[in-house]
Amino acid sequence: MKDLFQYTAGDSVIHKLNPLTRILLAVAVCAAAFVSDNLYYLVGLLCFDMLLGLLAGVFGKALSLLKGLLKISIFLFILQILFVRKGNRVFWIITDQGLILAAKVVLRLMIACIPLALMLAVTQISDLANALVQVAHVPYKYAFTVTTAIRFIPQFMEEMADIMEAQTARGVEFDTKNGLKKIGMMLPLCVPLLVTSVRRTDAAAAAAEARGFELRNRTSGYKKYPFHWCDLLAVLVCAALIAGAVII
Amino acid sequence: MILLENVSFGYGDDSSTVRDISFHIERGEFAAILGANGAGKTTTAKLIDGLLKPTKGRVLINGLDTAKTRVSERARHVGYLFQNPDRQICKNTVREEIAFGLTAVWQNAGEDAIARRVDEVLESFGFSGDEEPFSLSRGERQRVALASVIAIRPEIMILDEPTTGLDYRECTHIMDTIKTMNEEQKTTVVMVCHDMEVVASYATRALVMAGGHLLGDGPVKTIFRDQELLKRASLLPPQIVELALRLGPGFENADTVEEMTEAVSARAKRKGAGV
Ligand SMILES: Nc1ncnc2c1ncn2[C@@H]1O[C@H](COP(=O)(O)OP(=O)(O)OP(=O)(O)O)[C@@H](O)[C@H]1O
Ligand SMILES: [Mg+2]
Repeated sequence: MKDLFQYTAGDSVIHKLNPLTRILLAVAVCAAAFVSDNLYYLVGLLCFDMLLGLLAGVFGKALSLLKGLLKISIFLFILQILFVRKGNRVFWIITDQGLILAAKVVLRLMIACIPLALMLAVTQISDLANALVQVAHVPYKYAFTVTTAIRFIPQFMEEMADIMEAQTARGVEFDTKNGLKKIGMMLPLCVPLLVTSVRRTDAAAAAAEARGFELRNRTSGYKKYPFHWCDLLAVLVCAALIAGAVII
Repeated sequence: MILLENVSFGYGDDSSTVRDISFHIERGEFAAILGANGAGKTTTAKLIDGLLKPTKGRVLINGLDTAKTRVSERARHVGYLFQNPDRQICKNTVREEIAFGLTAVWQNAGEDAIARRVDEVLESFGFSGDEEPFSLSRGERQRVALASVIAIRPEIMILDEPTTGLDYRECTHIMDTIKTMNEEQKTTVVMVCHDMEVVASYATRALVMAGGHLLGDGPVKTIFRDQELLKRASLLPPQIVELALRLGPGFENADTVEEMTEAVSARAKRKGAGV
């Protein structure tokens, strides 16, 4: 789970795109998923997600994402088919419309989750922030806040795992098979987790100040983020995806 | 008591952080794991407590395979001090913190017994009990974490760098406490430590690691005199040992300041007697 957020280096087509284009691509896929009401188109979009993963050289990651989402999806799917009453009954209390609706919901969930995670996996957060500052003229402070928050997610998870490990060694039964019990025991541990993160935030702020944070502005970045022809192509793909969703 | 048989371990799937390590530690031993940063000391310590399961080989604690038993059940017998005290601390006062570990493992003891034990430990460590762990300094938090490990009187104590961040007086005090437990209750101690002076004064056995391999295993005295071995593990012996080695015959066995003083006064006496 934690290496999902980790950066994968490479020189694929996707890596060559401007960081903003990559995000746009992800957003476009999400948008298309929610606009479209056609089951086949949704399946196509899911395939497009996988294609993105393949193009970016992180197909394995895309697959493991899909696998992870599958569990939630199955749960959602079952809920949906049990609660939708419209349509013709197919089997027991399950209706044909219920099946279709459930499939759509689940597909949308998967389609929407995968591309953003994939794009983040092939984009260094600092690149994204710098591009936002330089190209989109977002104030550096805000960009910094967001990137730092994202940057700390894996560390947060690692810390939680470490804390649980330490408490297990002290005799708290985190190594039980009972999931509910485990969650109950996790709650009190949020205290040390919060304390360490607040402390780290303080330290990070002090460190940033000490390194001249206040002096930074839009022109401080040393990498430039120009747009190329492949960005144009990607934007066209985005437009086509959304157009397709509206039309079909 | 602790037995590692051809244990290998790697984080993820490829790298092997610990490679084919075997050793045996008897009850009442005081062993130190030495090695440069990243040598795999913490990993080995976690393997001993079963927090990590070996990918090859096996680890036996009191004859039980760690891969088949639960860590939380072992907590009664094995105390583990983590390299980072903040992972361990989770209560709002030092008293609660120490009591927390005790209630988890001393399930049959009454509340009185636990309260008494907490007071004892608080006094020994010089805490009032009402301090908030998270507003203490790093060294003080280290002591809180150590206090809660010592409180449960485990049969085996695994200490990952117990003395980092402590001042000299505090370091001596804590190491003396550990040594007393080791001598009086035959507590087995496995300690990861970068302070060679501390190792020379307290440990009896040294395990030297480098790059995931176990390079050397033997009495601290012997290990510290094996210059070639220490060099391969990027370690330096304590200065007093170096001095002893340079002084030559009559001083070879001096590992600590006390032993050196003795050796020097013995030499002076012999000189005085005209030998
Ligand atoms: N959770 C982890 N995931 C992946 N790799 C790890 C993890 N923990 C440690 N390692 C790697 O294993 C190697 C050995 O780490 P270990 O923590 O055992 O070293 P150490 O001897 O305790 O070092 P130190 O003296 O700095 O504490 C290191 O190279 C480190 O990069
Ligand atoms: Mg370590």
